[in-house]
Amino acid sequence: MQGPDERLVYARWLDWGTRIGLGVLAAAFFAYAFALVEPLVPLQELATVWSLPLERYLAITGAPTGWGWLASIRKGESLCLLGIALLALVTVMCYLRNGISALGSGERLQAGIALVQVVVLLVAASGVLTGGN
Amino acid sequence: MEAAAAPWWIWPLVLFAVTFGLGIVAVLAGVGGGVLFVPIVGGFFPFHLDFVRGAGLLLALSGALAAGPGLLRGGLASLRLAMPLALVGSITSIGGALLGLALPVATVQTALGVTILAIAALMWGAGKSEHPEVASPDALGTALRMHGVFHDPASGKDIEWKVHRTPAAFVAFGGIGVLAGMFGLGAGWANVPVFNLMMGVPLKLSVGTSGFLLSVVDTSAAWIYINRGAVLPMLVAPSIIGVMLGARIGVRLLRVAPAAMVRRLVIILLLVAGARALLKGLGVWN
Repeated sequence: MQGPDERLVYARWLDWGTRIGLGVLAAAFFAYAFALVEPLVPLQELATVWSLPLERYLAITGAPTGWGWLASIRKGESLCLLGIALLALVTVMCYLRNGISALGSGERLQAGIALVQVVVLLVAASGVLTGGN
Repeated sequence: MEAAAAPWWIWPLVLFAVTFGLGIVAVLAGVGGGVLFVPIVGGFFPFHLDFVRGAGLLLALSGALAAGPGLLRGGLASLRLAMPLALVGSITSIGGALLGLALPVATVQTALGVTILAIAALMWGAGKSEHPEVASPDALGTALRMHGVFHDPASGKDIEWKVHRTPAAFVAFGGIGVLAGMFGLGAGWANVPVFNLMMGVPLKLSVGTSGFLLSVVDTSAAWIYINRGAVLPMLVAPSIIGVMLGARIGVRLLRVAPAAMVRRLVIILLLVAGARALLKGLGVWN
């Protein structure tokens, strides 16, 4: 798990995952900010709601929670959230790759830690803790 | 400037400019951008603290993800050291995020102010040890195989390292996770002293492993903010782009910038932003 090869494999997955996530986020934000795609909340109205507490913001704008943004993926905010979600999934993929690799090489303790971490991250991502859809 | 009166695009532009500056300062002072971002943007911008904390976490996460490959390839981060502690930190950061989103904003703002002022004090007074002595490693650290040889590229020397006080470190990382999740702070300011001063890990390996560990701890808390809808792309994207571009300039300035003066500047920024958060939370300065 700790050997140079595994570390380099982890680094490679991390590198590419981060590049893809940041690239998608930057492209999506460009399209969103320059009105190349339709926003969920009109940009002119955004400044009147971004100072509100979260619950009021959600009630007024109807912005999605959980994975609900996938249903409106053509909207500017949702495209940006795709990039953000990709960034937040990079570590899951790297750990999964490393956990499976450690299991294959008989390093059960390291594999166990990696796979439990994957479960923790997937539970957080699933939305079950926050009531998201 | 009145938030409602200004055109909407002014704020992302100002945010980009400020985070660009924060990116430069953060690299020069050796701190993560999140610890500066949350109190400054939360205190002086019109965005609600819920969104600022979500953005702070994503900012810290992006920085950690971007730095991770270089740290791992250079042997400056240890997976074996980071993984068990990151597991604890990521679980408690979920709790911290849920707690932060459930508490009244004035309470979170006040606690944030106290925390930022404490971080400023920690940065002012905390020592560091380049190569700490660990006379006898503890059983837990040994069982988790938290030891190895670290190659210091600056000196060209191989340094054998091992750890002690591992159970206490688990407790510390549990607490750090709560703070990271609750306030949206990257927690490098706390990770490094725990690795270096508490566990006896060489300083450079502590800094590198802390950067890697942040990518795990911040991921789990970030998902809580994403799922609750507390992520505003108009706040997150310019901030991430600004900090990352600023960090590139910061790296170039590293050789010539007076490190001690930059560090003092960061402490002053933290004191001002922490006091602002505290007074805002107490309703004294809104």
